[in-house]
Formats: sequence, C-alpha cells, structure tokens
Amino acid sequence: MDFSIHVAKVLQIGGLEIWITESMVNSWIIAGILILLALFVRSKMRDPEKVPTGIQNVVELLVDTLDNFSESTMGKHGRKFSSFYAGLFIYILLSNLSGLFLGPNWNPEFPLPVNFMRPPTADVAVTFALALITFFMTQGFGIKSKGVFKWMKDMTEPMVLLTPLNIIGELANPVSLSFRLFGNILGGTIIMGLYYNLPWPALVGIPVVLHGYFDIFAGVLQSFIFVMLSMTFVSSAMD
Amino acid sequence: MDELTGKALILGMSAIGAGLAMIAGIGPGVGQGFAAGKATEAVGNNREHGGKPATLVMLLGAAVAETSGIFSLVVAIVMLFANPLVTREGAFIVLGASALGAGLAMIAGMGPAIGQGYAAGKAAEAVGKRPKLQSSVVRTMLLGQAVAQTTGIYALIIALILLFVNVWA
Repeated sequence: MDFSIHVAKVLQIGGLEIWITESMVNSWIIAGILILLALFVRSKMRDPEKVPTGIQNVVELLVDTLDNFSESTMGKHGRKFSSFYAGLFIYILLSNLSGLFLGPNWNPEFPLPVNFMRPPTADVAVTFALALITFFMTQGFGIKSKGVFKWMKDMTEPMVLLTPLNIIGELANPVSLSFRLFGNILGGTIIMGLYYNLPWPALVGIPVVLHGYFDIFAGVLQSFIFVMLSMTFVSSAMD
Repeated sequence: MDELTGKALILGMSAIGAGLAMIAGIGPGVGQGFAAGKATEAVGNNREHGGKPATLVMLLGAAVAETSGIFSLVVAIVMLFANPLVTREGAFIVLGASALGAGLAMIAGMGPAIGQGYAAGKAAEAVGKRPKLQSSVVRTMLLGQAVAQTTGIYALIIALILLFVNVWA
C-alpha cells in the first residue's frame, strides 16, 4: 500500500536537485485542462448574443453563481475578488475530484502507463501554498485598506498584553486552512487505497458509495469551505 | 510463547493506539444524536414547510460532524494495515510510544464532532422555523463547523507526524 507522493523526475540545475513530483505534474494537467477549456469558451463566445444560447447559457449561469457567492460572503468587496476566488474554487474542486480520473502513472511498482491520479490537494505543499496566498492577501489588503498604523494597532486589540496571541492566531490561520483541505482529501485517498486492496467480491458496487462520500461530497464541501474561509479572512481584515 | 521482540512491542502498542483512536467516535455519536433530535423536533413543529429543509440540513451537518470519526478511522486503519513504524530504524520503545501517542492524539476529535453536531442541530432548528433562510443558515453552519474542526486538524497533523515522519532521527 502506497500513499506517498511519487517523484516524476529529478532535475539537476547547477548542482541543485529539483524534484518534479506527481502533485506538480497533476496540477499542471488540471491547470492545462482549465486553460484549454477557457480558451475554447472564449473562441465560442467571440461575439456574445443578447439572448444567451448553448454554451454561453451554461457559462453565464456558472459565472453568475460564483459572483453571487463571493458577493454574499464578502459584502461590498465581493465583486472585486470574484474572478480570483471563482478561479481558485474551480481549481481546488477539480483537484479534489481528480482522483476519479486517469492520469500518467508515476508508481514504479504499477504495471500500466496510466493510473488514477493522486489529487494534488492530498499534498501539503500544494494546500499550504494556496493557504499562503490567502495569508498574504489578508495582510496585504488589510494594510492597503486600513493603513499600516491602523493595521498594527488592530494587532494590539483588545489590550496590548494580547498582542502575541493575536500574532499566533494570524499565523495559525494558514496552517489550519491548509491542513483542513489536506487532511480531508488525504483521508479519502488513504481509505480508498486501503479498500482497493480487499479481495474482489468486496469491490463490486460498494466503491461507488465510498467515492460518492470521500471524493464527491468531501471534495465539493472542502473546496467550498476553503474558498469561503479565505473570503471571510480577507474581507474581515479589510473592515 | 514468543519472546518480546522490538517488532512485537511496536505492533502491540499500535494495537492499543488503534483502539484508543476510535474512542473519538463518542464525539460524532453525541453530536449527530443532538442534530437528529433537533431535526426531529423541527419536523414535529412545522412538518408542512420546514420538515424537508430541516432533514436536509441535519443530514449535511451530520455528515460534516462525521469528519473527526473518519480521521480517527484513517489513523487506526493505517496503524493496523499499513504501519510505517514497523520497518523504521530506531529505538523500539520510542517507535511503539509513537503509535500509542498517535492514537491518543486522535481522541481530541471528540470535541470538534460534538460542537459540529450542536451547530448542525441548531441549524436544523432554525431552518425548520424559517425554511426560506435555508441557504444562508447552511452557509453559516458550514463556516462555523469548519472553524470548529481546527483543533481536530491539529491532532491529525500530530498523529500523522508521529506515524510518518522520523522526528528523532
């Protein structure tokens, strides 16, 4: 049983070893698919119609839903951030669901050239990078909208003695944010990996239910929660 | 009777650890029971309009409250079937104690699960009273439950570090 992140290739650049891991390759694949999809939609919608039909209808519905989501969570700041958070949401959602799709195989012990992808979000490096974006956005937009002095003064609220606790609290946010996503997706990956090692009569039908809960329910819920918490952190730092 | 080898010590400690981890199951049980009770109450009070939304919200909240139980299950199953400590080099007592500690850490999952279940119950109650507010109630419930999960996540981090990372190498 092998839940570890496989290394696709080790590059040697000027004496430095650079490891290209499975998570990196899989997230490039996901990003590539999203870019191709975006270019396809763009070429289809060169001259948008007044009354939407076909693919324009679907895309407008999607964009509208995501815009409403960020506006209702972030209030008056929502509109500005909605394109970023919509992209983040779609990326995390696809990463969480990628375990259901085939991708290149990097496991040397597995005989076939293709294998089910290991979700990139089951790698703490990926989720921590996403959480760090949120952390720097929180601090950056906080300083931008409040000014440095107000931002520093807010750190000493409600009393000066609590400043270290406030700082620890700020630093703990990206940790809990990243490990929430990582833990849930990794848990699903481990359970599914262990389940597929059972003898074959157990593998008829039941995995559908398990995938439904661990991949689809947990995947959708965790991407929703990650984006919603990130929105809440940023918009509350700006007020 | 076999003699006490280092590997036997690790396996024995892992067995205790796996059992201890599952104690966390108390949490989801209490929390989901509370949510179920509140949803039942909501259905009883306002079956025509609030019954279905309250049941839906209860199921969603209870599924989130299950997370801690699943984390414990993952740690216990890893210790039983894919124990990474068995093949590791190091002092056997330390490796065995790591298994025990990983199991003990997971007991923390009780707290988040009870809290999340409480939130789910209150959300079911609110939706039963005012079914039109379902989407905003669900959103607030999920946000609060996600924050309540934090300490359980910390416990999972420590348990996974104890199992997979060679801390004292």
